[in-house]
Amino acid sequence: MASKEILRVSDLCVDLFTQRSVIRPVDGVSYSVAAGETLAIVGESGSGKTVLNFAPLGLMPTGVNVDLSGSILFNDTELVGIAEPALRKLRGGSIGTIFQDPMSALNPARTIGRQIAEVSELHMGLSSSQAESRALDLLKLVRMSDPDARLKQYPHELSGGLRQRVMIAIAVAAEPQLLIADEPTTALDVTVQAQIIALLKDLQKRLNMAIVLITHDMGVVAGIASRVAVMYAGRVAEYGPVGDVLVEPRHPYTMGLIDAIPRADDAPGSLFRGLPGAPPILGAPIPGCAFAPRCHAAIESCHITRPALVSTVQPLVSAACPIINKHNHGGAYVQH
Amino acid sequence: MSSTKSVLRVENLVTRFKSVERGKWVKAVDGVSIELRPGEIVGLVGESGCGKSTLGRSIVGLERPQSGRILLDDIDLSGLGGRKLRETRRAIQYVFQDPYASLNDRQTIGEAITEALVIIGIHDRTRQRRRVHELLDQVGLPDTVAERYPRELSGGQRQRVAIARSLAVEPRVLICDEPVSALDLSIRSQVMNLFLTLQKDLGVACLFIAHDLALVRQAASRVYVMYLGKIVEQGTSLDVYERPTHPYTRALLASIPSADPRIEATREVPALLGDIPSPTNPPSGCRFRTRCPSAVEACAVAEPPTVWVGPGHGAACIFAAQIRATEVVPQPEPQRLPQQLSA
Ligand SMILES: Nc1ncnc2c1ncn2[C@@H]1O[C@H](COP(=O)(O)OP(=O)(O)O)[C@@H](O)[C@H]1O
Ligand SMILES: Nc1ncnc2c1ncn2[C@@H]1O[C@H](COP(=O)(O)OP(=O)(O)O)[C@@H](O)[C@H]1O
Ligand code: SF4
Ligand SMILES: [Mg+2]
Ligand SMILES: [Mg+2]
Repeated sequence: MASKEILRVSDLCVDLFTQRSVIRPVDGVSYSVAAGETLAIVGESGSGKTVLNFAPLGLMPTGVNVDLSGSILFNDTELVGIAEPALRKLRGGSIGTIFQDPMSALNPARTIGRQIAEVSELHMGLSSSQAESRALDLLKLVRMSDPDARLKQYPHELSGGLRQRVMIAIAVAAEPQLLIADEPTTALDVTVQAQIIALLKDLQKRLNMAIVLITHDMGVVAGIASRVAVMYAGRVAEYGPVGDVLVEPRHPYTMGLIDAIPRADDAPGSLFRGLPGAPPILGAPIPGCAFAPRCHAAIESCHITRPALVSTVQPLVSAACPIINKHNHGGAYVQH
Repeated sequence: MSSTKSVLRVENLVTRFKSVERGKWVKAVDGVSIELRPGEIVGLVGESGCGKSTLGRSIVGLERPQSGRILLDDIDLSGLGGRKLRETRRAIQYVFQDPYASLNDRQTIGEAITEALVIIGIHDRTRQRRRVHELLDQVGLPDTVAERYPRELSGGQRQRVAIARSLAVEPRVLICDEPVSALDLSIRSQVMNLFLTLQKDLGVACLFIAHDLALVRQAASRVYVMYLGKIVEQGTSLDVYERPTHPYTRALLASIPSADPRIEATREVPALLGDIPSPTNPPSGCRFRTRCPSAVEACAVAEPPTVWVGPGHGAACIFAAQIRATEVVPQPEPQRLPQQLSA
């Protein structure tokens, strides 16, 4: 499948300067996404998933100064160092975004229809009445029941699942080439989550969109993504095709995460598998492997030298762990 | 049906709220009966808005039920009042999803736990200190946490503190409302194992409210499945998860995504369409009928009674016996083809 590459992130670092602290929540991250493909970015809270995706788009809260280094190529446009007006044109235009909490992203005082129409007016230059009829089409596209009536409703009148559909309608209004979705189903029940995932897959097929989907749920990764980047403390621990990384994880962190998922053959009342300890609180960059204090396989050098993300024996999978590469046989590497 | 005497019994509980629609009621809990035996972890699952929290809050007295009975060791709480009620109710403690909300940010952890000790009459300073350390140890936290403030702790640590504090009053029952939903996977296992250990060591019974079905399957010996204010299926975890009998339970279980991409690749249409209807105007008859693949006209007429398909295994569906026997959910003709994915 030789699809066109839409996004290439190389060695991206993000430093955040606030009044009280300086932290580096994104520390040397690289990945790429092609048209029609979904890349999942998975990791525990605080691992830098949101900052990684939204700081480069200028979508950080005010009061934070952002410093970017590295490169983000969107098609042939370099986003690191791009001027704000050019960035504003991309946001909501050829790059659509979906946030975890649709309530905070929607204007509570305006109708659903108006909010969707605005995007088409802004980015596609449609007249107000053209945009209104396009809003209706978009609600149909995201398979809202009773779309005519929904246009006149306000966000608080909708359930969480329907609000997320509205967010999706807004995000795809300008037919973006890239959709960045930040935990779009985390606040939803599994039943509604399954509907939203099905919808995203369907839209992707129709629009040939590239999707970057942020989640902490391996089930969501398995359901929608073709490739996955596993983040830990601002760095990518493992990166590769979903069929490899989820089925035969190589990095000890990925192994621990996947091992911690309850399985159907776990006896009721049996102890839960998991990882010891907790992720680090970010401050000064960590010299060695950030996972070393929790890692059962760590050796002395893990605490001292930062492991590079390099290809494993399966060349499509890379992992930032010298131990697994030394053992030279990814999945057969034994835990405990 | 129970061989052991129950520590907590809820009978036909109804809790409703005034609706924003004038003169109408939100029937959040609408005739629920459940039971907990000593030292048992029992799961309560269902989509958000089905009334799980309202049921839990009603049991601990945070909501006032409109009717029904709550019995602790066969003592009917509704027959008690004032101080006697407060003292009896102390045996039931509530653990919130967000421990931050239940901890005072100006109190150290030690102070928060001591406050609970005073309630049960422990006033001696040395005894208080010893007990605080015992409790912290029980939930796997170091002594030094006693001097810390809630904001200085991680989410997982805060949840442990909240558990330590509820244990301080030596409860017999914990109502745990989504206690690990806000925690990351790797921390979640640690806190879940804490519940399992506490249950073994202290014999505390636990009503474990969660929307994460896989978690409940492993932690609970029995489970109740709730839909729109009613219990639709109940039984041992093995029965409910291995031989789900209510169409709702089956759809809920089928919706859990697998972390195995090979299994996900075979997934077809979502198992359940639309959202849970409003509890202000629930559907007539079986409340699940508007989303049920098996619904026939009879489902709209009368509320289906619980059919016992095995020891302690019940499902409130007119097809329960048939589904249990054939392991398939009937799809009556003509099949309702949903026009849209959302209701
Ligand atoms: N506005 C902000 N100001 C200061 N620190 C922030 C801000 N947003 C995020 N961070 C910090 O950056 C790190 C990564 O955060 P985030 O990207 O939100 O993680 P994730 O999305 O993986 O949960 C965290 O340590 C967080 O505390
Ligand atoms: N204080 C309240 N006032 C009005 N309605 C409420 C109140 N608390 C809960 N509800 C409603 O009761 C129903 C059940 O809510 P809840 O018990 O929180 O469900 P769950 O915990 O299963 O998500 C929902 O429709 C909810 O909106
Ligand atoms: S009683 Fe009817 S509507 Fe209700 S679950 Fe059974 S088949 Fe479905
Ligand atoms: Mg985030
Ligand atoms: Mg709740």
